[in-house]
Amino acid sequence: MKMVEKAVLKAAALLVGSLMVSSAQAGDIKGKVTVQGLRSAENIAVYVDAIPGKKFDAPAQHAEIDQRRMAFVPHVTVVQQDTTVDFLNSDSVSHNVYWPSISGNKKLAGQLGTWGKGEKKSFKFNNPGVASLLCNIHPEMSAYIVVVSTPYFAVTDSDGAFEIKGVPPGTYSLKTWSEDGKVTTQSVTVTSGATNVDLTVKK
Amino acid sequence: MRGCMARSCVTAILSTLVVASWVMLASVPETSAIPAFSRKYQTSCTTCHNNFPELNDFGLAFKKNGFKFPKDDDTFVKEPPVLLGAKAQKEAFPNALYPGELPGDLPIGFRYEGYTQYSSKIPLAVGFTPRVDLYAPNTFTILSAGSFGPNLSFWIDDDISVGGANANGFMGDGFLKYNDLGQYLHLPKDTLNVRVGQFELDLPFSQAKSINLTDYDIYDQASVALTNSALCGFAPIPCTTNNPFIFSSPQRGIEFGGYPNDGNFTWSLAVVDGNNANPAVRNSKDVYFRVSQTFNLERNPNVRKEVRASGPSGPRDHTSLRIGAFSYYGRNALNIGGALFPTLPTIREPFYRVGADFRFKYRQFELWGLGMYGHDTNVVPNDPADPTAFVKASPVTFSGGFVEGEYWFYPWLIGLMRYDFVNSPTDFQNGISRFDTRNRFSPGVQVLIRANVKLEFEYQRRFEQPIPGTTQFFRANGFSLGTDFLF
Repeated sequence: MKMVEKAVLKAAALLVGSLMVSSAQAGDIKGKVTVQGLRSAENIAVYVDAIPGKKFDAPAQHAEIDQRRMAFVPHVTVVQQDTTVDFLNSDSVSHNVYWPSISGNKKLAGQLGTWGKGEKKSFKFNNPGVASLLCNIHPEMSAYIVVVSTPYFAVTDSDGAFEIKGVPPGTYSLKTWSEDGKVTTQSVTVTSGATNVDLTVKK
Repeated sequence: MRGCMARSCVTAILSTLVVASWVMLASVPETSAIPAFSRKYQTSCTTCHNNFPELNDFGLAFKKNGFKFPKDDDTFVKEPPVLLGAKAQKEAFPNALYPGELPGDLPIGFRYEGYTQYSSKIPLAVGFTPRVDLYAPNTFTILSAGSFGPNLSFWIDDDISVGGANANGFMGDGFLKYNDLGQYLHLPKDTLNVRVGQFELDLPFSQAKSINLTDYDIYDQASVALTNSALCGFAPIPCTTNNPFIFSSPQRGIEFGGYPNDGNFTWSLAVVDGNNANPAVRNSKDVYFRVSQTFNLERNPNVRKEVRASGPSGPRDHTSLRIGAFSYYGRNALNIGGALFPTLPTIREPFYRVGADFRFKYRQFELWGLGMYGHDTNVVPNDPADPTAFVKASPVTFSGGFVEGEYWFYPWLIGLMRYDFVNSPTDFQNGISRFDTRNRFSPGVQVLIRANVKLEFEYQRRFEQPIPGTTQFFRANGFSLGTDFLF
């Protein structure tokens, strides 16, 4: 019995220790996206692409997309695979939310229906890809949900800057997605501390 | 009686020809620079025009790209468009409307032209013409153009007022164009476009966007057969050809065209009603075809790839040589319902125009020219006393063209020299000119007071015309001082 207790304590100590070590060693990816032929460097998704052999648990926290003043807010949302997204409506008019496909796969299309102010509908995105959110009442409204395989992602600010925190050391494939630009892929080696990366997105 | 009816029509045509072409400045609808684009991009007219409304290399590329900047248009637009559907709606098509856009602000501009005219002494026998007209309002035009998204563009220009008279004008061009339709057929970019509506034919040198105060004479040449029935050989019935078709007026129809290879090669094929601004009184349609090739003569291959070249004092057009050819075929219809010859059927007289052209650009100098040949079938009743059918008579033919040079002394001071000629034996025999060939020299100077305000000086030394009832001749020379501005 004592041996079992010791073993459990030992394992717990190792686990805590390894977590502390890995947390201490995790790095951040910081950088700036510049654009060529695009109006703005804002709202570009930057994320670590799928890591072979590595699976991440589904996050418990929900992402949230509101509909305010006839627009989806935010315009681009990146979520980890299996994340549930809550769709709100803060407008005094009804909105509808649907997406015709996920990255062109129409079998993954979704239609959440129409609802009024203060109501909320949720959906869990299980497949990686990009869902173009639309409202069939107000065709000028659009937004994008970028579903990725890892929990390491960010969206650029108005200057094109981004920061991905807590990335374990290693070499990864860093990718971008933007509404009008081509996908950019760049290899990045993360060490403890900050790793700076500059990316260029072309139309 | 029948002959008189035909003759009255011919006389009317000839009168129109004389008035429109030789005495006064033509008041054809003129499309032009578009201030709406200046507003949209917050850029000067000179971005697209070295001497408005003529397009420079950038303006041509802008036009060919569906009224969008040739590269990275989105980044230059200062008035974001109103989305008629998010771009992502494309994914939902055909279950949703295909997304489009409206220009952010109402894309409207205005152009006003007028001129002062000094004329040489015109014999009273021809009709009184004042020596000086201090100011003649020409056209006040409303212009609108833009794009409805990546591939759809539009153009409308309408003369609100002509010659100072309200609502006396008519629509110039009004068309909808789909750019790069060929992408769906996996053709190279810009190989196939289509436009529908009323438009100026894809002429080698646009009359609507001409920098000149007066029309090119050959563009206004109509085919009219001999009015003297004795000369025609079938007295008292004259020849029949009376074809109002001229190149300078807009046509109605559909045009397919393209400009692959960075716009260096162009082609267009238009099927049109064939009778200018009025609906053609016939069932057949006309066909116009044009092809051209531009040779970019810049030595530096990188410069050749740019939309414009860079000179020491700013951007300039590429040194280039363009050569082209064009043809037009139609069938003019006369005697519909027996209007001219009650016992005879409708006459269908095939006609064609063929020509070739060139344009050379070198730094501040440009030289361009065009030669053209016209041929109209001409039939007459087989028996003036008791006609039972039509037989072919001598066709009505003409040839002619123009050569024009333009030189920028300064970006705002431009010298012009132009030579027009029309060789028409039929017109000569109809008493319009002293010789077969009518020609004129038109030197001129244009001053861009501002990018959107221009003064235009043009002198016209014209051919000799007979004074009716005498054996003497006169020249309807003139000097014009035009003002032209847009806002």
